[in-house]
Amino acid sequence: MSLLHDLSTKYKTLSIVGMAKNAGKTTALNYLIEEAMDEGILLGITSTGRDGEMEDLVTGTEKPRVYLDEGTIVAVPELIYELADAGLEVIRKTTYSTAIGTLLICRVREAGYVQVAGPVINAEQKKLCEDMLDLGCRLVMIDGAIDRKSIASPDTSDAIILATGAVLSRKMNKVVEETAHIVNLYRIQELEDGIYRKAILDNNSDDKIMLISEAGDVTKLDLLTGLGAAKDIDQAISIDTKYVYIPGAFTHSVISDINVKKLRQVEFIFKDPTKIFINPMDWGIFRKKGFTCKVLKNIEIAAITVNPWAPAGYTFDNRVLLEEMQKAIPDIPIIDVRM
Amino acid sequence: MSENKTAITQADLTCVKPYGDTLNDGKIEMAFTLPVPYGEEAEECAKQYVKKLGFDEPNVTYYKELAPGYTFFVVYGAAQQTIDFTAIKVPKVEGTVMDRVECGEWIGENIGRDIVVVGASIESDAHTVGIDAIIQMKGFHGHFGLERFKNVVAYNMGSQVPCEQLIAKAKEVNADAILVSQTVTQKDIHIMNLTKMVELVEAEGLRDKIILTCGGPRISHELAQELGYDAGFGPGKYAEHVMSYVMQEVQKRGWEKKADIAER
Repeated sequence: MSLLHDLSTKYKTLSIVGMAKNAGKTTALNYLIEEAMDEGILLGITSTGRDGEMEDLVTGTEKPRVYLDEGTIVAVPELIYELADAGLEVIRKTTYSTAIGTLLICRVREAGYVQVAGPVINAEQKKLCEDMLDLGCRLVMIDGAIDRKSIASPDTSDAIILATGAVLSRKMNKVVEETAHIVNLYRIQELEDGIYRKAILDNNSDDKIMLISEAGDVTKLDLLTGLGAAKDIDQAISIDTKYVYIPGAFTHSVISDINVKKLRQVEFIFKDPTKIFINPMDWGIFRKKGFTCKVLKNIEIAAITVNPWAPAGYTFDNRVLLEEMQKAIPDIPIIDVRM
Repeated sequence: MSENKTAITQADLTCVKPYGDTLNDGKIEMAFTLPVPYGEEAEECAKQYVKKLGFDEPNVTYYKELAPGYTFFVVYGAAQQTIDFTAIKVPKVEGTVMDRVECGEWIGENIGRDIVVVGASIESDAHTVGIDAIIQMKGFHGHFGLERFKNVVAYNMGSQVPCEQLIAKAKEVNADAILVSQTVTQKDIHIMNLTKMVELVEAEGLRDKIILTCGGPRISHELAQELGYDAGFGPGKYAEHVMSYVMQEVQKRGWEKKADIAER
């Protein structure tokens, strides 16, 4: 069975998230679209902004446009509609607006290249996906226009496809290490239902750092941000503190000055894994010191795509890269989009 | 060939090409290094390479050994490609640009409070030249910096400032805007640093509560927007460009009475 068939039975909406610029996100999307054509799976395509420009702004490399087969449902703003290479039939005019005109839901009548664009606001994106599913799509794919990991926020789609590639580093083991690190972060366990989760959710209106005691009592810290506040957090942790909730970004400076004994005693809780900004090396060191954490919502990774080619002009042996990646991440399907 | 030899006196903006001695002769000067030993073979190699790039009449005007096995060339060639100048559209920072004095008065009249900005050259970048040009009193090229503006409070944190520290400072002083400077661009390090910054701002829940701008010699407004910034300022932009944008954006977002970040 093909990968896409498996995905379409498990998930309804998938976002494609890039580890970095030029990680091969659009290539990945085109690969999946091609598979869908072969399988006869009806796809819906939308994006979190505009994508499918001819050229990349930073490196000047040619960006693959999105080639859509007949029947595919796609979100296109009015302005782009006229520029599209493919024959498009407008099914519905939506109320969602983008920077380049009102969004139209179209069916592809004549296969060809299209610039895809979608709503900017998450809530509208969600509704658009539902509309597309109502129109008979088996699977909706959301292409993140900007290759930023923070778009992986878990509330827009059921799961993500992580696009990674040689662009991350000139050393292959570094590419594998960084990817495996992100995958592990995204899969951090969720805090189980119970008094502690409830305590956090009930008090989380103003995004303050909170300490939760054994009994479930909440103490809010009067800090503007956790960044650089490791000493204050360290002082605030008392003998019966069980959890530390960090609402914002979690970096080295949030944790570096916390006493090892206290580090072992408490468990850190984050909103979601995209808030964590710690490199693989430091992460390993903190784990060894006894640092543990959970998240309120984790991110499901449906598949990983690798691109052995980097715009800076170097490539990896695609077979070796694929093998190494599979060794590091054995339980998620990994595809080479250029093979 | 005959076409680019015809003398013309009026440039056709729908198909422009470089100007050398006469209009449309397409002459371009190139400088590059090849990893080949110095000698006549090297000269021929450079010629053939330029030919392969699509230039006619390649002329090596200068070449010199850089180090054993490396030769540096200056080559002239006639380009054939043309560009339709009339079809070019570049996104620009919107709004009117006022000078320093006008900015100060405008803020006094329309915002009614001081505008607070925090700027730094972030992460590995040790160059203060960009952020100093915008913030420091002396300014740059006869354009005074934000420290000389009335009704503007500007904090210059200097260079090699970690993103965390910049964000913490912005929160502490309730900044309206963050100015990120990036001068070094080797191996696209500025893209990595700027991306890290915008991701941290987003993770801190600040993205829609602060105006995030960046600037530097290799930064355009278009690039800034693609990276998720509100505006980008490239070469030839001074403190008044930045402040004109920031103050009008503050008004557009209705932050006149919202000096405190938490209220936005």
